[in-house]
Amino acid sequence: MSFDFAGSAAEVRMDIRRLFRREWDRLALAGTWWNGTERGDIARVARRSRSGGSGAPPGTSSVPGAAIEAAGRVGSAPAGIRREWVEGIARDLGFPRYIEIVGITSRLAAVDTFHTGIGAEFEPFPEPEPGEPSHAEEPFARPGAGWVPMVGGASITQALSLVNAESTAQEDMHGPLYLTYEGMAHLDYVGGLSRAQMELVAARTSAINECFY
Amino acid sequence: MLRASAQITTVPFDPRGITDRSVDPLIPKGGILLDFVDAVLSGEEPARQTSRAAVLDELGPTGLVDASGVIANFEMMNRIADATGIPVGQGTLKRTAEWRELVGIDQFNHL
Repeated sequence: MSFDFAGSAAEVRMDIRRLFRREWDRLALAGTWWNGTERGDIARVARRSRSGGSGAPPGTSSVPGAAIEAAGRVGSAPAGIRREWVEGIARDLGFPRYIEIVGITSRLAAVDTFHTGIGAEFEPFPEPEPGEPSHAEEPFARPGAGWVPMVGGASITQALSLVNAESTAQEDMHGPLYLTYEGMAHLDYVGGLSRAQMELVAARTSAINECFY
Repeated sequence: MLRASAQITTVPFDPRGITDRSVDPLIPKGGILLDFVDAVLSGEEPARQTSRAAVLDELGPTGLVDASGVIANFEMMNRIADATGIPVGQGTLKRTAEWRELVGIDQFNHL
C-alpha cells in the first residue's frame, strides 16, 4: 500500500497516511480542468524543479509549455513570482487551469517535504486514471485584491477558490499537517510540539521562503 | 501567530531568532527546531540526519512528525500565497510594523 513510510525515523500518524493516500487518488483522477495524465505530468515537472531540474521530464508531453513553466516556477521558485508573470500564464491557460496547477504543485511540495523531514523516500507517482475534467465553473469568483479571481475577499484560505476542488484539497491538507482553520484559534494548543514551537517552525519556513505569510 | 501564542502561554520569545540564527529564540528546544527547518529546506542529507536525530532525542517521534508536518504545510501555503498574490492587509501591516522591523522581513520584496 502507498505511503507506508518504510525506513522513516518515526511512526507516521494514520490521519497523515490517509491524507496523503487521498491526495494521490486526487492526483491520479481527472480534476476540474486537467485530466489524470496531465495532473501527473504537472506533478512530475514540479518535483523535478524542486530537485534542481528544469523543463519537462521525459514522457511528460501531455501539457502545454505554459503549464510546464507554471509548475516549475511554483514548484521551485515561488518567491520570485510577480503579477505580470501570472497574468501571462493566465493568458495562455486561463486562470482556472493555472489555479489547478498551483494546487497540485503546492500540495506536492507539502507531501515531499514531509517525507524529507521524517527521512523517507519520495512516494512514486500514481498511475493516472481515465476520465475527463469536470470543467466546473465557480460562478461567484471575481477579480479582487489578489492576482487571481477568488470567491469573497482575497485571503489565503480563499486563494484557490476559483477551483473549488483545489480549495477543498488545500483545506484537507492543512488540518493533519498543522491545524484546521478553526483550530488555529487555539493558541495554547499542545500536541507533539507546543503551539509556540509550531509557530517558530512555521515562521522560519516562511522566512526561508521569503514569504510574509 | 507566533507572537500571539507566545504571549498567551507566557513563553519567553525573541523574534529576531527567526531570521538571525545567532539569536536564541528562547522558546524551549527552539534552536533544535530551527536547525531542523534549515536542514530540511536547505541542507544536504548528512545534515538532515544529524538534525533529525536531535529532534528525535529532544522532542521524540511525535515532535519529529509534527515539525515535519508544519514545515510541509507552510511549504504549501507559501506557494499558494506567492502564486496567487495574496495581499497583506493594511491593518496587519500597521499592527506588525515594529515586529517586522525587528525580524527584518520587510526586505521581502513582494509584500
